[in-house]
Amino acid sequence: MSGTSAEIRSAEPRSTNPVRAAYLHIPFCKHRCGYCDFTLVARRDDLIPAYLDALELEISRALPEPLEVTTLFVGGGTPTHLSASELSRFFDIVARWFVFTEGAEVSVEANPWGLTNDKIGVLADAGINRVSLGAQSFDAALLQQLERDHTAADIESAVERLRPRIPNLSLDLIFGIPGQSLELWNDTLDRAFALRPTHLSTYGLTFEKGTAFWSRREHGALAQTPDELERAMYATAMDRLPAAGYEQYELSNFARRGFACRHNQVYWAGQPYHGFGPGAARYLNGRRDVNHRSVTAWLRRIQSGQSPVGTTEELSPEDRAREAAVIGLRRVPGLNRTRFAQQTGFALDVLFGAALQKHRQRGWLEDDGEQIRLTREGRFVADSVVVDLL
Amino acid sequence: MDPRFIRNFSIIAHIDHGKSTLADQLLLQTGTITEREFRDQILDDLDVERERGITVKARAVSLRYRYKGQEYELNLVDTPGHVDFHYEVSRSLAACEGALLLVDAFQGVQAQTVANAYAAINGNLTIIPCLNKVDLPVTRIDEVLEEMQTVLGFTDEETLRTSGKSGIGVDDVLQALVERVPCPSGNPTDPLRALVFDSKYDNFRGVMTYIRVMEGTIRPGMKIRFMKGGTNHEVLEVGQFRPNNVKCDELGPGQVGYFVAGIKQLTAVHVGDTVTEAGRIAAEPLPGYKSPQQMVFCGMYPIDATDFEKLREELQKMSLNDASFSFVPETSDALGFGFRCGFLGMLHMEIIQQRLEKEAAIDLIQTAPNVTYELLMMDGAVNRVDNPQDVPVSGNIKEFREPVVKVNFIIPADGIGPIMQLCNDRRGIYKSTEYLGPTRAQIVYELPLAEVIYDMHDKLKSVTRGYGTMDYEIIGFRPADLVKMDILVKGNKVDALATIVHRAQAEKRGRSLCKRLKEEISKHQFEIPIQAALSSRVIARETISALRKNVTAKCYGGDITRKRKLWAKQKEGKKRLKQFGEVEIPQKAFLSVLDTGDD
Repeated sequence: MSGTSAEIRSAEPRSTNPVRAAYLHIPFCKHRCGYCDFTLVARRDDLIPAYLDALELEISRALPEPLEVTTLFVGGGTPTHLSASELSRFFDIVARWFVFTEGAEVSVEANPWGLTNDKIGVLADAGINRVSLGAQSFDAALLQQLERDHTAADIESAVERLRPRIPNLSLDLIFGIPGQSLELWNDTLDRAFALRPTHLSTYGLTFEKGTAFWSRREHGALAQTPDELERAMYATAMDRLPAAGYEQYELSNFARRGFACRHNQVYWAGQPYHGFGPGAARYLNGRRDVNHRSVTAWLRRIQSGQSPVGTTEELSPEDRAREAAVIGLRRVPGLNRTRFAQQTGFALDVLFGAALQKHRQRGWLEDDGEQIRLTREGRFVADSVVVDLL
Repeated sequence: MDPRFIRNFSIIAHIDHGKSTLADQLLLQTGTITEREFRDQILDDLDVERERGITVKARAVSLRYRYKGQEYELNLVDTPGHVDFHYEVSRSLAACEGALLLVDAFQGVQAQTVANAYAAINGNLTIIPCLNKVDLPVTRIDEVLEEMQTVLGFTDEETLRTSGKSGIGVDDVLQALVERVPCPSGNPTDPLRALVFDSKYDNFRGVMTYIRVMEGTIRPGMKIRFMKGGTNHEVLEVGQFRPNNVKCDELGPGQVGYFVAGIKQLTAVHVGDTVTEAGRIAAEPLPGYKSPQQMVFCGMYPIDATDFEKLREELQKMSLNDASFSFVPETSDALGFGFRCGFLGMLHMEIIQQRLEKEAAIDLIQTAPNVTYELLMMDGAVNRVDNPQDVPVSGNIKEFREPVVKVNFIIPADGIGPIMQLCNDRRGIYKSTEYLGPTRAQIVYELPLAEVIYDMHDKLKSVTRGYGTMDYEIIGFRPADLVKMDILVKGNKVDALATIVHRAQAEKRGRSLCKRLKEEISKHQFEIPIQAALSSRVIARETISALRKNVTAKCYGGDITRKRKLWAKQKEGKKRLKQFGEVEIPQKAFLSVLDTGDD
């Protein structure tokens, strides 16, 4: 059986990479935080059993046989919102349909609050070897502002209890929270360093359309952090994290050597991946499908045998190249002329000559003739650079 | 064709009072088109017209109608309904002896109803008033009849009840046309005199000249002469619009149709000219028309300088089919080489601009429109200025004159206060108020055209909740205390942003303009001061702070499409940029000059 599929693969053009990555979305949360626009439902735990059935149905329809993966990422929502028994049912499904290769990266997002030892046990037993913890901040007032349900102590406790079983830990941190000072941001960084995670992601708070934060800002009830302060916070992150041993490898991501998230690099390198669950995206054969974002619509569609896909996008080769450039530039090493041409069939200078020169002159890009990357200054205004590449 | 059996008529109405629908019914019920050929608003053949549901250019159609055993030829010459196109209305009316005046049975008499009715009365046309859309679920028939009596003097008895939608009263209309509209006069054997009321370029036949024959007869083989144009041509084909072009043997007195004479260029045909026979020239040409007056001007510049010649060709094409549009090359320090274009009004401008973009696919930067000014210089010379950049230093100007219009508002009575306030804020001079009935009134003001064209119509609609209408006519130039306001971006004067404002309003306009520009120009690497100045005195200032941060934090699997679309949208906003020194100014910024600062 596997021999047959290997033959088929070898007969295909070299550009068709085997799919070795998968994303699974668990759309349940205790409540929705004011800034969050992810695909999730709060206070609908009654849907969890149906969701688990539907998830397995979706996977079984998409995969002819269990898939060998080098990275698997379980995101949410709050995956650890599921009870220990629900979680273990979830990972039974994972075990039936995914085979982890030797050294595979298997990540789960977790919330500090409610991460019981039972659940940690389920994760570790299921072969999870990386946990991304939604810490966000260590300041009580800011956590409240963000409508998070955990405390700094919850974060510390979760890390202590996780580490013996799953030592590869990442923390997500948010800066630019209304009311946050540079000093408070430095405090949060100090306390994050003290926990010695392998990986840190720092996100400038985004006001997403449709969120409570967005409408509060529209009504003047919430003030966006001034650009200058938010810039100083980002600058602080870019200074302090490398000094503490976390090398920046993407605009928002820093890691100790060898601990960069491999799953996210699959996205950024334009490699294919499967996606399952409401709102999940997959990228197969050059086509990006995104499942229905509504949990109930996704459920209904799976249950009635329909495709769960909400939107589909297939880019022209040129648009694909442009997207590759935009995403690639967000990575610290930037774009390599030779590799870009091999991968996309387009020469960087032909596609973007004028824009590249403009941003070089502004000091936002640096170019050694082979590699083009954002300068430190360029990282503050990366959107202004990439917009010109589309 | 015996002129006794010919009737020539137009349909005049306020916009949306059902003109095109009724015209379609006339075509349908006279068998000019079959049910199968029937499509909505067959007379509007420009795409732009169909999109906007308005008629811009005049067109004609010939109907056959049998009445009391006799066949009649009823020629319908269509008219545009918008205030910008008064000129085209008068053109159509000159080819007719009668007009159907449609009044919406719910909306009643509106501003263009009055304007068009007066144009027809002044042209000595017989008017057949029609209360249209009588089958609407809600009508105000009695009140509207009273309005028609009060404002226009039409009696209940002479007013027909019609509906273009269901066909009610269409036969009454056809009978009334035969019975009430006088037949054209004119002797078929007299020397030819035919009025040119339109022309069109056809790829196969060359120029088709649309005419109404007054006297004499035109037939193929005849050598004709344009009396004003002074050129001679041999007629190859004559025909009528039924509604498609149908060849015929001849067109005699009273008839409306076209001729083809191997004319290659539309410029050879002047609307309003008189066609006569080359060998038997008529003693006097027909009165013709006044040339249209272009009152609104704007600059059009290609974003890509290499498109300049292409733009010239496209403008040339536009002007061939539209005598009321003009253009001359001009240069701007800010925008490079482009053209200053003249229009009858704002709608006319928008239509031309849309057609350019649709048909020519040239990315344009268009400057804010301005009216034309008259300057009396110290040396006694009088200069026309179509571009604020061309206003000389104030020391040389003795008198700065602006065009003034008489504006006729028809509004619900509770809108009188707000409208008077609006007009007073805009330097209006009150003329009169007349009640059309208990709840509606007509108010007349004299206002500077510059205060009317940009957004008066929108403001009127908003203060009257959509129920008010307006119409205006130019009454001349009047002196006013006007000054040129310059805009400086990062210390550099941007000529294309200069405007002419009344001195008393300069500060307010300057402040609001600087604020708008601050919103339209995106942040740069450096701080950008924006200033408004009269001569060199700065009267308003805003500062765009430097771009310090613009970065999307998250971009993972599911986000990629969404984020890319967000960026693409940002890019769209930056598409029409013009580099001015170090600063990129988007197209929209040039139009922010229009903001009057009322809000």
